[in-house]
Amino acid sequence: MIRMQKIMKILRNVILQNWKQVLLSGASLVLLVTVWWLYSALLHGDWPFEGRERVDFAEYVPYPWVVVQVFIDSFQHQDASGLYMGEHVVASLKRISTGFVLALAVAVPAGLLMGRSKAAHAVGSPIVELLRPIPPLAWVPIFLVVFKFFWGPILIVFLGIVFPILLNVRLGARSVDPVLIDAARTLGARRSQIFLKVVFPYTIPYLMTGIKVGLGIGWMCIVAAEMLGAVGGGVGYYIFLTAGSSLYTKMYAGIVTIGLLSVLTTGVAGLFERWINKWMGTR
Amino acid sequence: MKTCIRIDCLSKVFSDNGRTVNALDGFQLDVMDGEFVCLLGPSGCGKTTVLRIVAGLESKTSGDVAVYGRPVQSSGPERGMVFQEFALFPWRTVRRNIEFGLEVKGLPEEKRAKISRSLIELVGLKGFEDTHPKELSGGMKQRVGIARALANDPAVLLMDEPFGSLDAQTRNLMQRELLRIWQATKKTILFVTHSVDEAVFLADRIVVMTARPGKVREIIEVGVPRPRDRTSKEFISVRGKVLAELDEEFEKARAKEISPD
Repeated sequence: MIRMQKIMKILRNVILQNWKQVLLSGASLVLLVTVWWLYSALLHGDWPFEGRERVDFAEYVPYPWVVVQVFIDSFQHQDASGLYMGEHVVASLKRISTGFVLALAVAVPAGLLMGRSKAAHAVGSPIVELLRPIPPLAWVPIFLVVFKFFWGPILIVFLGIVFPILLNVRLGARSVDPVLIDAARTLGARRSQIFLKVVFPYTIPYLMTGIKVGLGIGWMCIVAAEMLGAVGGGVGYYIFLTAGSSLYTKMYAGIVTIGLLSVLTTGVAGLFERWINKWMGTR
Repeated sequence: MKTCIRIDCLSKVFSDNGRTVNALDGFQLDVMDGEFVCLLGPSGCGKTTVLRIVAGLESKTSGDVAVYGRPVQSSGPERGMVFQEFALFPWRTVRRNIEFGLEVKGLPEEKRAKISRSLIELVGLKGFEDTHPKELSGGMKQRVGIARALANDPAVLLMDEPFGSLDAQTRNLMQRELLRIWQATKKTILFVTHSVDEAVFLADRIVVMTARPGKVREIIEVGVPRPRDRTSKEFISVRGKVLAELDEEFEKARAKEISPD
């Protein structure tokens, strides 16, 4: 209880100190929803556009409050596949986390090596530069055939996350202040120790940037990853399913869910970054 | 007295995209055990290069460099170095910066803590053990730099314009502090500076280098008893002598700049 009060107090202080930013962010959200509502009204021929004829594709753009209703409803009622939205959320979160952990395991060592060794850079760069621009969507058919419905979607997400992390870590490893390496050498550090105790810690802030960008792209890939089906469902699967059945309000509820999930994960990554910076004394 | 650092006929040619620069040409110097020697010269004369070669951070083109008779091949913990840019690890606290060398040597935690505690005491950083470098002033940062280099108990302390980025007051204070630490630890110090005042205040001997390619122009025995008074007659007279030597080299370097070769 005391803990809760403390958190509320910190939150209140944050809001009070940055009330201008909070106000502006709030206004920006209101603006977004207003534009959405006005466009919807325009298509439906409702106020303030009464007198205009309802456009026949108006159902593609439902009103915001209808979407909110359906969004809440989707957590309380099963959809056509017999799943609640909560289950889709959990399935997608699991998929993103697994893809994320895999991406870290590959991107961090590869990025460090490519940033510090000319040979590793020569070997790795062609692969990275050729694979990076391919949209993960293009891999879907092959991945689902080869890796099936459990690993296929995870690997699509992995492809989205791995490159931003790798490129940022590589940049960090390249920008290590040479005088720090000189210092470590004169203090008796061997190559592997310099790598572990100087290069790696130096790249951590870069890694955090890569993680934040990568998570966002991971969510961008989730619809592609889950579109032909995925074990245990998923929000992307839900969007594809409802769009295919012309259930557009539900589709929008799925879209809103992905937006919120992305905000949540990047927010958590941001908090983690602040904690790490404090712990490392770099901010 | 034993020779600590022996530098014999040291030459260094830098080449970059086909362009070559003769940085050092036949540099010759013996530094005695426990001696404080300053390298002084016009900028670009290669004084830092000498230091970096002794540290093992730079390769030599020809000549011999040995510390206690052992040829220098690469960097090693018996030659500690202090950098103008401090070169502290920003993510490590003061204590963990100082313990870096001990950590890579694999010393157990209690031993590391014991050594770092006494060094923190020696350089006057008590109360700042758990502070990160970012929160320290320039003078404090360099105290960490010195303590970190001393942690390995090196035979030689190589200092590359360590006080070059400090303000005048802090600089004077750090010079006195360095002399106190030097007398307490009895290390051999090779110190690069471009400040005549600093060299005369600190050194047993001052090596005035020629303009590029760098070699020894003159070695001046300071001979003023410590603690030295910067306003005393002997101090000013040595200062004048060093300055005259340096001015001539400076003029030569300038003439070369105006009409190269």
